[in-house]
Amino acid sequence: MSKTKEELLEELSDAVVDMDEELAASTAKEYIDEGYDAYDGISEGLVDGMNKAGELFEEEEYFIPELLLCSDAMNSGIEVLSPHIERSRSKDEKIVVIGVVQGDTHDIGKNLVALMLEVAGYKIVDLGKDVPPQAFVDKAKELNADIIALSTLMTTTMPRMKEVIDILKKENIRENFKVIVGGGPISQKFADEIGADGYSVNATASVRLAQRIVS
Amino acid sequence: MKSITFKPDNITIQVKKGQTILEAARKAGIAIESPCNGSGVCGKCRINREQIDNIDALLIKKSVFSENNDDDSYILACNACINEDVIVELTNNKESDLKILSKGKIFAFEKKTLVKKEYYEKEDITKIYYNEKEIAFEKGNTKNENYGIVIDIGTTTMVASLVDLNTGKELTSESVLNPQAIHAQDVLSRITMAHEQKGMELLYTEVVKEFNNLIDMIAKNKGVDPNGIYEIILSGNTCMIHLATNKNPTSLGEYPYEPAIQGGSYEAAKLHGLHLAKEAVLYLPPIISSYVGPDITSGVLATQIYKRKDNSLLVDIGTNGEMVISKNGDLSATSTAAGPAFEGMNIEFGMRAAKGAIEMFEIEDDDTITVKTIENAPPVGICGSGLMDIVGELVSHKVITKSGKFANPKRNELPDFLSERLEKKNGKTVFKLSEDVYLTQKDVRQVQLAKGAVRAGIEFLLKSQELTADKLDEVMIAGSFGYHLRTKSLINIGLLPKEFEDKVDFVGNTSKTGGQAFLMNKKYRNEMEELVKTINIVELSNYDNFEEVFVKCLNF
Repeated sequence: MSKTKEELLEELSDAVVDMDEELAASTAKEYIDEGYDAYDGISEGLVDGMNKAGELFEEEEYFIPELLLCSDAMNSGIEVLSPHIERSRSKDEKIVVIGVVQGDTHDIGKNLVALMLEVAGYKIVDLGKDVPPQAFVDKAKELNADIIALSTLMTTTMPRMKEVIDILKKENIRENFKVIVGGGPISQKFADEIGADGYSVNATASVRLAQRIVS
Repeated sequence: MKSITFKPDNITIQVKKGQTILEAARKAGIAIESPCNGSGVCGKCRINREQIDNIDALLIKKSVFSENNDDDSYILACNACINEDVIVELTNNKESDLKILSKGKIFAFEKKTLVKKEYYEKEDITKIYYNEKEIAFEKGNTKNENYGIVIDIGTTTMVASLVDLNTGKELTSESVLNPQAIHAQDVLSRITMAHEQKGMELLYTEVVKEFNNLIDMIAKNKGVDPNGIYEIILSGNTCMIHLATNKNPTSLGEYPYEPAIQGGSYEAAKLHGLHLAKEAVLYLPPIISSYVGPDITSGVLATQIYKRKDNSLLVDIGTNGEMVISKNGDLSATSTAAGPAFEGMNIEFGMRAAKGAIEMFEIEDDDTITVKTIENAPPVGICGSGLMDIVGELVSHKVITKSGKFANPKRNELPDFLSERLEKKNGKTVFKLSEDVYLTQKDVRQVQLAKGAVRAGIEFLLKSQELTADKLDEVMIAGSFGYHLRTKSLINIGLLPKEFEDKVDFVGNTSKTGGQAFLMNKKYRNEMEELVKTINIVELSNYDNFEEVFVKCLNF
């Protein structure tokens, strides 16, 4: 007996939460074979699972390895579903330009934030690590981005975040973008001091932050 | 202006309205721990409300810490602004009882000092030679008064060792806290501080002042005239060596993380106003890389790891895990950002190794738990060695699962004496260690990050020499902190691979003992200056798969 769409969506979600790469792929295949909509499979199945994983991360149930394993499972499902997507992604998709600021090469935290924001439906443009302040601004301008997300693990490179904001002000485009900051030594106080639009303590909180400031 | 009085020292100073208690304390020269440099994150500067005479004199601002903590019996010194005159009673700000270890492994080094003294009976003078050159003379026969000093500058603590240059024997050693730590806890905050001229000056002058205190103290203890100390070796991590010799460390704090000096160099000690003979010479051992400093060079020398005909590893576990691997004397080195968890920071009840800190924790076979605190005082917190013991024991008894999560007593089978200690605090599971001290889930996560970083460093070093864990013959754990650790815990938490069991040796403060060898023979200076050029530096951030390996190393 074939399963309903809702049943399969739940199984997709569960496969991601349970970090089961193979199950996510095989369930995705079953879902497509039943003729259900691929886009829904991603957004209401796989991404739903990833969101649940994010909640578990926040509740300290899951840690970085689990979060990454969940994302592997999600991606294996997406690989199956994405060739079947007919609709293009919505036009009002928000764009996030993200990177580790100049002078710093620690990018694990940034990668997690990029991952969670992407799951939440943002288009991520990842500039990588050791990114000069001007490069953030140039890319954000070029793409007409919504958010510039800056990360650093080192106290020494924190001033680079303010430089990005200063450049935006100097070019009179500060209001065009929301700037969010994060990383080991960063705090809300620091974000306020440099005039950033927001700070989040971890990857999952960054999604709520982004939603709050660009809704 | 408002006045603030700090008790029990009874120091009163005037400050501008709105300044924080922490700022006032710094101005008054009073130590309040502030590892996060007053950003309201760490909560270590908390003061009990009862210790403030008039709480309404303060404007208490919100902080990250207060938002995440329901306990409002405390305020944070960094977030309490002075509105009216106030008296603050400080306790526990004395750390004189800190446990710092100064012993260390050393080899039988040959004695051939640069400083030599010769007595000339006819003129009744003693000539002083440095590197065969006469540099000064003294009246009378002072041949027996010939001393050198080694100072190991750690980020947190400093150890000075007075050595008789005629015999090579250490006469005494003393340790103190690094005074810079009050202003900025870790290496990076200090680099940030030194970025500004004023900050650099403060860090430099404070550390030199403390050198002089140390020198005066040990000279007085041994009845030695500081004018009879002719040479000083400064060992320590790269950043500390920069700050101690008034070199700006800014370049260390940004990619590509280059040091401003290379070490292997000499300066006149009087340049820094050190209380030594006016001709005294200062030697800096060579730096291996920006995050593998002269302390590790000294360690390489002290352990003779470069002369070994086997496979061995030297690891210094601290805020940065610095390590050197030797394959038949072929060396690779790396450093890894472990963070301050092992020093008790970022841990809910974390503290330094002072009175009342849990330093040992063991779950016995008869279902009892042994908790040992420093000086057997009632437990008030957890120090680094205690933290590793606690997490290690809880992992091996399945109270903490492989993924680092506290077990669920309903789902996982746990003996009662353990499951009853798993409690809920603020809605979150904690493991109770005593009435007031507990381990949180977040603490376990911090340990995972720290040990994951060190372990990943070890994995990359092994790979750099095409070795596997089982091929190692000896693993040496250096650092004063390392001495208090137990192999079992290091393996239980996975900081070290289990293949290292039975191969671990705690070698103590080899930064100091290696410094002594540098002091006693010029040959070792030349040898190390040449050797560091041949050491292969493994820069972890250049490896694409670092993240993958690190994440793998997070699990227990």
